[in-house]
Amino acid sequence: MRSGFLRMKLHCFDRTFIRYSHSLNAVQLPAPMETHLWYVNPSEVKSESLLKQYLDILSPCERENVLRLQGKELRKSALLARALVRTTITKYQMSSPVEPRSLKFRKNVHGKPEVCWPSIDDWDPPPLHFNLSHTSSLIACGVTINSQIGIDVEEKQRSIKHNILSFARRYFSKYEVELLAAISDPQIQQREFIKLWTLKEAYVKALGKGFSGAPFKTFTIRFRGVMEGDSEAFNESSTKGFEIVVDSLDDPTDVSNIWHFSLLELDGSHYAAICTEKQSALDGKINIPGKLMVWKTIPIVEDEYVSGTDAVKIICGFQ
Amino acid sequence: MASFTASSVSISSAFCSFNQTQGSNLRKASVSFSGKSFPSQRLSLPRFRVSCAAKPETVNKVVEIVKKQLALPDDRPVAGDSKFQVLGADSLDTVEIVMGLEEEFGICVEEESAQSITTVQEAADLIEELLEKK
Repeated sequence: MRSGFLRMKLHCFDRTFIRYSHSLNAVQLPAPMETHLWYVNPSEVKSESLLKQYLDILSPCERENVLRLQGKELRKSALLARALVRTTITKYQMSSPVEPRSLKFRKNVHGKPEVCWPSIDDWDPPPLHFNLSHTSSLIACGVTINSQIGIDVEEKQRSIKHNILSFARRYFSKYEVELLAAISDPQIQQREFIKLWTLKEAYVKALGKGFSGAPFKTFTIRFRGVMEGDSEAFNESSTKGFEIVVDSLDDPTDVSNIWHFSLLELDGSHYAAICTEKQSALDGKINIPGKLMVWKTIPIVEDEYVSGTDAVKIICGFQ
Repeated sequence: MASFTASSVSISSAFCSFNQTQGSNLRKASVSFSGKSFPSQRLSLPRFRVSCAAKPETVNKVVEIVKKQLALPDDRPVAGDSKFQVLGADSLDTVEIVMGLEEEFGICVEEESAQSITTVQEAADLIEELLEKK
């Protein structure tokens, strides 16, 4: 009876979306403490007609924003970012009353984007959180239930215009500067800088208060030996047995008990940092190590589950 | 990487101080939004904050720094109303631009202010506001 009622409601919508909901796999919501990561490589999306389809599922405002950008590659990655987030989120509906193009977003009081689900009779929206990050060469969307999430991706080889230590002295904490300064190999130093940058960005995005909500200088992110419990000088080959923790200079509470960090390498070319709330912080239960599930996707076309393959190398933070 | 920014109205929050002793340096008070500015008779309007349009030299310097950071070709048009994000800046670029401006002008930009700079004009206006405070 109930499903018949829902079917009746579905007839109010455009027929194409019904085809969509059957054609591409609906995905189970993440379990608690599970993180889902979906990413797309823009260079693998070549079809102009596909890009037109993506443009078609954006809101008029998003479309306008994309077309305003200067540069074809810039427009393409911005377009893919919106297409990725819309198609990813709608995958998690058990019955699909909302199609990608109908999804609405809003910003919370601090400006962090969240989904604005419609209220439909006899239907509960999936209780998910998401966060998006993109570079010109990779776009990623992280999804969790119940937990705040922040992600950041960056090319491993990304170089900055300023001297790394000058930049770090201006923006990073004293501890982080000392750590970077202790690295003599410039290539390793550059990579560790990028890792730190993505981790710090992911934290700020998870907090959801914007850059000024947690100025970079006011917190330290470091690798801590899991056994010993004290911090070790970071060594590129020795990240096993380490966890990533955050210390806040401003916040007297032990924020490392709240936030879980993980760092991955995607497709051998990008670092991805993920920050989520720990289970114990959410419901007082003992921490269970989280599971990560990663899909490489071409929105609308195909999803490839890549966890456990060479495409995903876990540097720290997940089993 | 693109990070979200809170939607912000692009009006500088600086109140203008008329420098009437320096005739040639007299700045026009103007209400500017959406990059278009027009002279206003009144100093302060109930709902809008008055901003001083920054000196052209300041704007040009900002344009130079932005173009360098984003490796834009010389002939790419960049003006006061150009948004960093539209030009292709991600959050790391924006932070570097702010750092470049700090170095160039000898100022220090707080995170709250940095977060609200989205265009060349806003950067130039903030720079002049900070220079005035020094």
